Amino acid sequence: MERAEQGPRAAHAVSQTDVDEVDLTPVRTYWQLVRQRFLQHQLAVIALIVLIVLVAAAIIIPWVSGTAGTRTDLKLINKPPSLTAPLGYDELGINTFARLMGALQTSLLVAFSAVIIIVSLGTVIGAIAGYAGGWLDNALMRFVDIILSLPSFFLIVMLVAFFQTGNMWVVVFAIGLTGWTTAARLVRAEFLSLRTSDYVQAAQALGASDRRIVVRHILPGALAPLVVAATLGIADSVVVEATLSFLGFGIMPPAASLGNMLTKAQDYVFRSPIMIWYPGLVLIAVVLAASFLGDGLRDALDPRQRIEAK
Amino acid sequence: MAAYILRRVLQAIPIVIGVAVVAFFIVRLAPGSPVDKFRGGRVSPAVIENIIKLYQLDQPLPNQLWSWITTFPQVWRPDAWGYSFTDGKPVLYDLGNKIPPTLLLMGTSLVLTAIISIPLGILGAVKQYSRSDKVITILATIGYAMPTFWLGFMLRTVFGANLKWFPLFGAQTLGQSGLNVPDLLWHLVLPVTTLTIVAVAGWSRYMRSSMLEVLRQDYVRTARAKGLSNNRVVYRHALRNALIPIVTLFGLSIPALLSGAAVTESVYSWPGLGYLAVDAVRTRDYPIVLAFVMIGAIMVILGNLIADILYAFVDPRIKY
Repeated sequence: MERAEQGPRAAHAVSQTDVDEVDLTPVRTYWQLVRQRFLQHQLAVIALIVLIVLVAAAIIIPWVSGTAGTRTDLKLINKPPSLTAPLGYDELGINTFARLMGALQTSLLVAFSAVIIIVSLGTVIGAIAGYAGGWLDNALMRFVDIILSLPSFFLIVMLVAFFQTGNMWVVVFAIGLTGWTTAARLVRAEFLSLRTSDYVQAAQALGASDRRIVVRHILPGALAPLVVAATLGIADSVVVEATLSFLGFGIMPPAASLGNMLTKAQDYVFRSPIMIWYPGLVLIAVVLAASFLGDGLRDALDPRQRIEAK
Repeated sequence: MAAYILRRVLQAIPIVIGVAVVAFFIVRLAPGSPVDKFRGGRVSPAVIENIIKLYQLDQPLPNQLWSWITTFPQVWRPDAWGYSFTDGKPVLYDLGNKIPPTLLLMGTSLVLTAIISIPLGILGAVKQYSRSDKVITILATIGYAMPTFWLGFMLRTVFGANLKWFPLFGAQTLGQSGLNVPDLLWHLVLPVTTLTIVAVAGWSRYMRSSMLEVLRQDYVRTARAKGLSNNRVVYRHALRNALIPIVTLFGLSIPALLSGAAVTESVYSWPGLGYLAVDAVRTRDYPIVLAFVMIGAIMVILGNLIADILYAFVDPRIKY
């Protein structure tokens, strides 16, 4: 029926008068729209650049400077800044800038690894719950309710203290194992709404396997909320690592992390107050960049957002 | 309504039991036996045997779990949650001492947060993209990005150590006994400020977007079209609906407030639940650790329950 109606209209469209009125704006794919919306978000673009610079610095500088971030030298104690040590030396004769970059590397490694665990666990559990439905969905979601009721930060403190204080990977697993619930809820919600959608039913009717439907058709739909959750998760993880150090459960010196540098600087706050600013500002820069980037991505990835008219 | 409340309460009970089971396993998953910290010291083996008997640690794990599940609801019995490994007092007695300072800290901060962040959110929404909106947004984001302990430490250094306006730690001046309200409030200032700054950052952003959403709605345009003054539209028509999501925020912010309180209490040695719990983790005082997880979870569940019930009260569109 519909086809019969479209037929004459399509034929009519060929006539010269109608061609002039055809919308000539090029068709844009979803990702082109995303890029355009993202670039309009100035703060998010700046945040992305800051984050790329920080990640690059955290990878390259410790690699170039070798052991300078942990090597002590009595002759260099509290020396002022120079070309090879832009922030001078601390009370143990360690190159502060080299140590700060090593700390940034550790903190970012912790945050990114924790977020990988959060996203993978959340995706798998959310996908199973949302796709299987029924009693399995019910059981998994009640489990999520229980985990969400537990005081998560305290659970992290407990896991780190009971298993191995000071080990970076214990911190990563503690953050990952307590943080996946929100990601699981997001993925499940997306699965519930897409599972009954027309195109998924069409794929089922064509005989696509469950695996193909999940991986090719539904998961891409859940990508947007996951990316946003992951970006914000990086900001949270960096703060959690620092707070653990403050409470005495974090990564231990001589290894450097933003948290233990910040905590150690507190002991010297009266003699060299400047030392508290370096790790503090780097930490705030990471958190701000990640959260602005998350906000920008949320707006950019949402298909309902319009492109602002210029 | 009564049926709805009853149903929500009944739904919360299995969650509480689930929390008790999960908390039990997390604490017992710790490597080694809970009595390991007594071994190798001056504690005689006979005493350790007694401790193992007292806590039924010689029983199989399912039996221990069953006895925990069946005794923890009997809160009228002082020994229902066991005894602290550190001071030997009943856990419920220790908790009873530490809950009021934490509730005082959290409650004061919650009230102040609402008083400060709701007007800020309204201002940001009504004058969207104005200079004051931008300043509020930037300050809120920086407040959100600052770790609680660092903010607390800086406030303590500046206003406690340098300016000496406020005390550095504790809830009362040393050597005092009994309740001295002005002294307590004086000690409360810095911890509450720390906790409030962090919470205001999140709440004002939330309030702003909620208000923006309401201001875009048709009935607000109608109110303006009728010729009502801007103030009347904003405060009489829009505000009421914009406040509804804030009710949920109250329940949702309990977990963040709890962990924030634990950190703040550690910075200022505030004698509350969080300080006790972090200390208990350090000394491996398992009964106290288990109790804190339970109390924290029960506070979160209660917060959600109250928020749900309030939501049904304030929003006539909700069917229950």
